[in-house]
Amino acid sequence: MSDMADTIFHRPRGLRVIGITQMSFGIFSIIVSLGIFSAWLTGSPLIPTVGHLYALVIMIFVGIPCLVIGNYVDDLRRNAVIAQVLYSIAAIALVSYFIVNWGIQYHWAVPWFGLVTDVAVGYVAALVLFTQIVFVLYLLVRWKSVVPAKGVRIERDRTRARLIEYGLMPTPLSTDLLGSDGRAVVTKEQGQRIMQTRKVTSEEGMAILCSNCGGATPLTKAEADNTIRCDFCGVRLALSGVFMPCKNHPEYLAAAACAVCGERFCRRCLTAQEPPVDVKWTGSTVFLCSKCFEGRFRPAVTTASLVIPIDQLFSKAGSRFSRFGSLYGRFLRKYFGIMPYALRIAGQALSSMSHSSHGNDNAGAFILAIIIAIIAIPVVTGIALLLGAIVIVPILFYAGLVSVTVEAVRIIRRTDFISLDQARERAVIRREPVKEKESGLRAPSRSWQRSDAKKESAAAEGFFRR
Amino acid sequence: MAVCNVCGDLICEECVQKRIGDYAGKLFTIANCLKEECVAASGWAQVVNPDYQRLTNMDWSDSVDGKVLRTTGAGAVLMMVFELIFILGMLYIQFFTQWGLVRSNVPYFFIRGDAVVILGILGNLIAAILLQTALQVYIHERQLASGVMLLILLIVEVMLLLERGFFFNLRYYPYPYLVPVLLAAFGSASLLVFIGSAVAVAVGYEKRKQLREARKILGLASK
Repeated sequence: MSDMADTIFHRPRGLRVIGITQMSFGIFSIIVSLGIFSAWLTGSPLIPTVGHLYALVIMIFVGIPCLVIGNYVDDLRRNAVIAQVLYSIAAIALVSYFIVNWGIQYHWAVPWFGLVTDVAVGYVAALVLFTQIVFVLYLLVRWKSVVPAKGVRIERDRTRARLIEYGLMPTPLSTDLLGSDGRAVVTKEQGQRIMQTRKVTSEEGMAILCSNCGGATPLTKAEADNTIRCDFCGVRLALSGVFMPCKNHPEYLAAAACAVCGERFCRRCLTAQEPPVDVKWTGSTVFLCSKCFEGRFRPAVTTASLVIPIDQLFSKAGSRFSRFGSLYGRFLRKYFGIMPYALRIAGQALSSMSHSSHGNDNAGAFILAIIIAIIAIPVVTGIALLLGAIVIVPILFYAGLVSVTVEAVRIIRRTDFISLDQARERAVIRREPVKEKESGLRAPSRSWQRSDAKKESAAAEGFFRR
Repeated sequence: MAVCNVCGDLICEECVQKRIGDYAGKLFTIANCLKEECVAASGWAQVVNPDYQRLTNMDWSDSVDGKVLRTTGAGAVLMMVFELIFILGMLYIQFFTQWGLVRSNVPYFFIRGDAVVILGILGNLIAAILLQTALQVYIHERQLASGVMLLILLIVEVMLLLERGFFFNLRYYPYPYLVPVLLAAFGSASLLVFIGSAVAVAVGYEKRKQLREARKILGLASK
């Protein structure tokens, strides 16, 4: 079992770009290859005999390798990165040889399905040369962060990786229950027995729940040094603090007090919220019982706090109108900024025109045209912007109303209540992460599960996370 | 049994004083012991009256509240959808039908379509307020007010819609099924909202009575 691990979210952004670019090259090459093969089948005169060989070469040496290597590079795999470097070096050598011998201006009429396309092969070669040099340099310079060290395990399943990132799973290693030695994994049957036992009433009275396996050990087994040995996995647990029964389930110890009603509840009855109340509370988890979570009696943080942002819709629409206004203001400032130069050029043209024959007639018409243009341009622009605003802003407002309706339907269908116990069982035991059912109109709860969290941006600093 | 939020001492049921305080807009409960300094330090929160809480337990309304929320919510969503379709339909009629292109049929104030857009947005706004109120109708403390508000909004919405129908001369629209279809959709939404809000008013009034009686029994001054 390796003790070094990381998640796919720590993949450097550059590696992602390389992987996607290589895959794009691969897909493009496969399409080209199929096109050439099809043209050869239909008897294109441009490739009478060796068309299928061209298609085969492109497919085997460009299409498939680019697609496969790019895909694995994108997966943050050690061998794939090494293969990418070797492939890029080979491509650089081949393309350089091509450019030196045939030159950058080299063209080739490529038959593709029923068409013939004139391809600037020299430029394509230059593009390949440039990208592959950049790839190789990037990979070599950032070797430590793009090549996972030997033995490092990367969690590539994004759902599981997200759970790890938010601390719901301690490591990407097995989440199975451990035995009393702290290393050996208990069998599936033993694990199920422990989970079942955790849920039944201890015949010997109030019990403590093991932080390792969740098993319930009666407090009567407490030892003189104020510790207790878990009946199931053997881990030694310290006894401290106050033991309170859950209000709804007296057979369970209470995990925490509800922050709203103050009653003590077990994990089954509590929900965890991260209310953006003020600076002091930001990021701190507040536990609420199911009733207070729903906010029926004392509006807490969820459904009852919902306010459809009608004022926001209107203020947004107003600000969009004013944005069009400021856009027009900026245009006018620029317009009058360049006017002196435009007038100077027009004056020069006018003076040269007045020296020619029929100069006075032409000059008069020219002056008239300039005046009309100077006045007409800002007026026409203003009208266009106004019309644009009149059309776009109501459409956006309308879209806002539609989204409000959709949110309302979601709220009416069901609240998104789920207990800590349910979440834990689904995510850790059954490995089915709880689906997000948040409303966009209220402060997010269960933020550790937010799918839009952009963890990829985190800098890759080697592979030393445990 | 609890822990004092000021000194951290363990306190038994008899010595605990529970308080509810408004902390940055949210109601949180704290517990303190009866030591003078702890009572003084917890003074920012009001002492909880457990008897009052017991007498004002409203679990009996859980089932009916769920039904009220869904009935009014469905009606309000239907109303909102109706409004969203109505404005699009009116714009279509005014700009893309021969009948609508005649000003005397579908009037406008300054430019073609302005009356449809302005009155449509007004209708949408009322529908949005209606929807918001419908979503608040299951909260004990707001139920009665929300129910009454819904009834008022429903009357305003119905009047505005009828006024718009007359203003745009929809009675004379050549396609004979338009008006009955619109009225049927709008009528069903109104009926749902009406039933939901009427029940909300009734249940909300019961809860109000329960609160009053609790105060009377405990000799508390009514708010």
